[in-house]
Amino acid sequence: MAASQFDRIYHGLSTEVGKLRLAGSGMAWKGEENEGVSAIPADEIKWAQWFRAARNFQLRVGLKDRRRETFDGFVREDHDKLAALLKQHFGVTLELKDVTFKGWNWGVTDIQGHDLAFLVSNKTTFELPLKQVANSNIAGRTEVSLEFVPSSSAGKKASKNAPDEMVEIRFYVPGTHTKLRGSEA
Amino acid sequence: GLGEKEGKGWKRFQSYKGEGALPKEAETLRIFVDRKAQTIILPMHGFAVPFHINTIKNASKNDEGDYTYLRINFQTPGQLAGKKDETPFEDPDATFVRSVTYRSLDGHRFDQISKQITDLKKEVNKREQQKKEMAD
Repeated sequence: MAASQFDRIYHGLSTEVGKLRLAGSGMAWKGEENEGVSAIPADEIKWAQWFRAARNFQLRVGLKDRRRETFDGFVREDHDKLAALLKQHFGVTLELKDVTFKGWNWGVTDIQGHDLAFLVSNKTTFELPLKQVANSNIAGRTEVSLEFVPSSSAGKKASKNAPDEMVEIRFYVPGTHTKLRGSEA
Repeated sequence: GLGEKEGKGWKRFQSYKGEGALPKEAETLRIFVDRKAQTIILPMHGFAVPFHINTIKNASKNDEGDYTYLRINFQTPGQLAGKKDETPFEDPDATFVRSVTYRSLDGHRFDQISKQITDLKKEVNKREQQKKEMAD
């Protein structure tokens, strides 16, 4: 049992740690504080990705209904064991996503499934779930803003130690105006 | 070679060579100013996203109700800054992150971060200025 279990793993963006267990029937995460269990049956698991996130390495699992689940907190050394378990139990290959930490603010935006990915030198720097975009605006033809749904919904107050909430991002998109401008330029 | 493709006057810089160089503070999912690496790390939906101080223009803060908002503005082409645009870009036709805004209930921390960003920016500008003077 212990061989297919990972400790101190986060589910989604939650700050609660728990245990993730993989078995022939599926995978399940159990929180340490609330003892809540999230289970994914084996036949729903379609793909898996591995990349460096903020809380060490992340396992991202794609589900049958196009939803996905994320688990943070893996260490680099977990990779081989996790890859073997995913293959053995679900016949899924753990795909490696290359993330860059160059620190540049210019690159290419790319819609990848349900995310807007920002790529620098062809490598991912971050991805924004489009589902959480509450509003978007185009200003002055070259600026696009995305506003996000606050994760801590009204009424439920976040603690002082809560993660910082990103509420808006603006992109400068110079390529879009050249053709549109025409006579106005 | 690579040099020819880069915009005029642009000098290469990089925050981290690889993931192993990320500081532990990135795990908190909170903004972190890594002075040693001259970098601000922003948490974005689970990613730790470094931005080198050279990409940053300034940070501004304002309070609204219980929340404090921190907006980080980046260097991008096409900004009417008033003064002559001296900033060279590697690729002015790329898509740029122009600003990112965060909110927190901990206004004191956002105060500190805002100050750290401003100080780091000043420090780097001063060094650049000194280099220029030496070259003259």
